[in-house]
Amino acid sequence: MLMRRQIVLTLALMPITFGLWYAAGPLFAGPAVWLCDIALGHLYPTVVDSAGLRGAELQLTTQFGELAGQILPAKEAGNQFALEINTRLVSYSIAFYGALLLASNVQDSLYKFCAGLFWLWLIMAIGLASIAGKDLLMLIGEPFLNTELVPPADVIALTYQFNVLLMPTLAPVFVWFWQLQGSPLWEQLAADITRASGRA
Amino acid sequence: MLRFLLLFIGVLITLFSVEMLNPVQHAVIQPFTGLLASLSTALILPFDQDVIAQGRVLRDGTSGFAVSIESGCNGVEAAIVLVAGIAAFPAALIQKCVAIVAGFLFVQALNIVRIISLFYLGQWNYTVFEWFHLYLWPVLIMLDVLVVFAIYLNWLGKNAPAAETI
Repeated sequence: MLMRRQIVLTLALMPITFGLWYAAGPLFAGPAVWLCDIALGHLYPTVVDSAGLRGAELQLTTQFGELAGQILPAKEAGNQFALEINTRLVSYSIAFYGALLLASNVQDSLYKFCAGLFWLWLIMAIGLASIAGKDLLMLIGEPFLNTELVPPADVIALTYQFNVLLMPTLAPVFVWFWQLQGSPLWEQLAADITRASGRA
Repeated sequence: MLRFLLLFIGVLITLFSVEMLNPVQHAVIQPFTGLLASLSTALILPFDQDVIAQGRVLRDGTSGFAVSIESGCNGVEAAIVLVAGIAAFPAALIQKCVAIVAGFLFVQALNIVRIISLFYLGQWNYTVFEWFHLYLWPVLIMLDVLVVFAIYLNWLGKNAPAAETI
């Protein structure tokens, strides 16, 4: 019964949380982009020049450019490749998390939301770095793969799939479930789990 | 709970890595994705004669609009999350098998609704299509997984007979 209420309320709240998330534009993506800039600076110090927000897009400037169809270091090419990444591809996890948490009868919900945001920003930053890795692979190709610290193409593809296709929906469920502790729904789920474990 | 979490993450990463392997993609995932496109077409055809399935692509013969069902759109990732949850939770093997098969069908049923809805949303309004494709449907599919897992827990607690733990 409580789970049914949770799902129905989540669905009912989603238009509101998604509306707020969209209206807020880059606000919810800002901290994740900042973390991503730091991470990319350490992961690919000879590839990434800078990363910052431009509207809701992460704009990433590389240390590579193009001259006469050849990909060269930016200094030799005289220009720099830049990528634009839609931060909403990962930041919608906040709207989903907001709907899940608001639909639950948890205490200190504002405090929990702030704590949850912190974790989601971390996961979003990893997601953005994964998109950047995939886009750099597509754009620069071999010179990027030959750079020190850059993982093999298969690892880049796997991390992209995992962090972009799965984590934006899975992470909010994990954070919400963790924060459910002590709520009536948690008690009911715990009872279900105990009963099921006892019988198995 | 810790045991469940560790097992869940372990199974999730393993299945996800296996799904990404080229032989698995060629032998299982791509034919399955093609089957989803054919199934979606078969469901639409009685109401709309202009739809054509070409491999993983669903095309409208009149407008030319097409959607290609790619990795991440075939519901396999969502099914993997469900399978990991079911596999990590202590239950008898038969219960896990029944739950995996039923859960997979449940997730795929909603995924077909998703594919068909996106096919028509795309012809109607591309902005709305993008919203549903990128943000709303992934959330709805994950909610579907959550519902199936909650039903499974409830079913285990109420009806499952005592059996050997796997």
